[in-house]
Amino acid sequence: MQDIRRFLRSTLILLSLSLVLQGQKLTLPLRSGSVRLAAIGDMGNGTTRQYELAGMMYSFHEKFPFDFVVMLGDNIYGGNTSTDFKNKFELPYKMLLDHGVKFYASLGNHDNAAVEKAYKPFNMNDQQYYTFKKGNVQFFALDSNYMDPKELAWLTKELQNSGADWKICYFHHPLYSSAAFHGSSLELRQILEPLFVQHGVQVVLAGHDHVYERIKAQKGIYHFVAGSGGELRRGDLRKTELTEVGYDQDQVFLLLEISGDELNFQAVSRVGKTVDSGSIHRNSKSNGGLATEQRDSRAN
Amino acid sequence: MRTLFWVLAIASGLPGKSILVPTIQNEKPALSAQEAALTKDFSDRIKAYIALQKKLEASLPGLKSSNDSAEIASHALTLRVMIIEARPNLQQGNIFTPEMSAHFKSTIRKTFQEPGSGVVRRTVQEGDPPKPIVVRVNGVYPDDSPVITTPPTLLARLPELPKELTYRILGHAFVLLDNKTNLIVDFIPDAIP
Repeated sequence: MQDIRRFLRSTLILLSLSLVLQGQKLTLPLRSGSVRLAAIGDMGNGTTRQYELAGMMYSFHEKFPFDFVVMLGDNIYGGNTSTDFKNKFELPYKMLLDHGVKFYASLGNHDNAAVEKAYKPFNMNDQQYYTFKKGNVQFFALDSNYMDPKELAWLTKELQNSGADWKICYFHHPLYSSAAFHGSSLELRQILEPLFVQHGVQVVLAGHDHVYERIKAQKGIYHFVAGSGGELRRGDLRKTELTEVGYDQDQVFLLLEISGDELNFQAVSRVGKTVDSGSIHRNSKSNGGLATEQRDSRAN
Repeated sequence: MRTLFWVLAIASGLPGKSILVPTIQNEKPALSAQEAALTKDFSDRIKAYIALQKKLEASLPGLKSSNDSAEIASHALTLRVMIIEARPNLQQGNIFTPEMSAHFKSTIRKTFQEPGSGVVRRTVQEGDPPKPIVVRVNGVYPDDSPVITTPPTLLARLPELPKELTYRILGHAFVLLDNKTNLIVDFIPDAIP
């Protein structure tokens, strides 16, 4: 009887382990020379769950060595002492930082702009909004807390002058979100979306709502909400016709790989479960480079 | 009431629904001579504040960026104290003069109450509320308090600020905030309807 119990327990453990390992499978193609990054939002709360998600990010970094992480705001909650920065950024992401992974922050509504934009590891160079290029991809980190005419003029000029194949904008407040707590930022959408469409932005990353959601392409643009990098609002997602895939049961980070005209993505939970994956294809010959095709998407 | 707000908010977020919003393009109307004089006076006061800030900061060890957040925070705190000491007895209205306050209030009220202004109000309402504080000149916006997004439609209608300053909403007050020190430079009480 005892042997049967032991056998059953071992089988159960092995089964669980195999499920976990299976869940941790990398779906990204790992192409040579590709641009590789992770995206996290609303992470800086210093909780065990933030650390656990950061640990999972590192575990995936070993299989998918991404060079940098874009931060979608609410990077440091509840204060700006050196202890806050240590407990909510430097320690949870120590393994990644030690491996030379760079972080590029955008500001959320809980961030102290005065301190964070001058904090070197956030790579903001004392700017509230900025742009940088990696390979054939140009990233635009925006300040959605304060979208004044100056920032809009800057963004318009930078988008106009960008010769990059891929243009990815990231900021805190989502233009589209099906979460109940905040939802879509309608005023920002009215202002930014025409600019994005006109200048061929293909992908927008945001946080603010503490869930993961991939929105069905809107006017040719793919929107991701990845605001559960530390905070989580379990059960907050009200899946609407906007939702392609949504997950609000655990913390999630997003991995992106861009190579040529293809962008692959994989969203991974704190326990290593792949909650979404797929690819987006850039149409280089027409439509101003807008991403118009998507395939292989999968949700668990 | 709160439920009704969320029902309306979620409904207005659905795709395909046409949303009436104020346009942000060319929002600054031509100014009358009186308004132009007011704006010039406002601009001069802003310039004087920035000149003071720069002069005081020049006396501190230079700090563009640092790996040490404590060093950045300490720099900001020192500058804040110096600014407070340099303008110790200033009251509400030191930059938002009564005439300018009236002009701002009128613009704010229009932006929040005109047809289609629901999205503007929503921008303010959907954020996490800041910690309640007594708003006063030389007061400090709490480091650990969230900020409300200042509606872009409103920003397009107000005089542009240098990057060292921002307009912020704190309850019903409209606040002029020093970006480097989180210091309340001036404010207009009861400006937000």
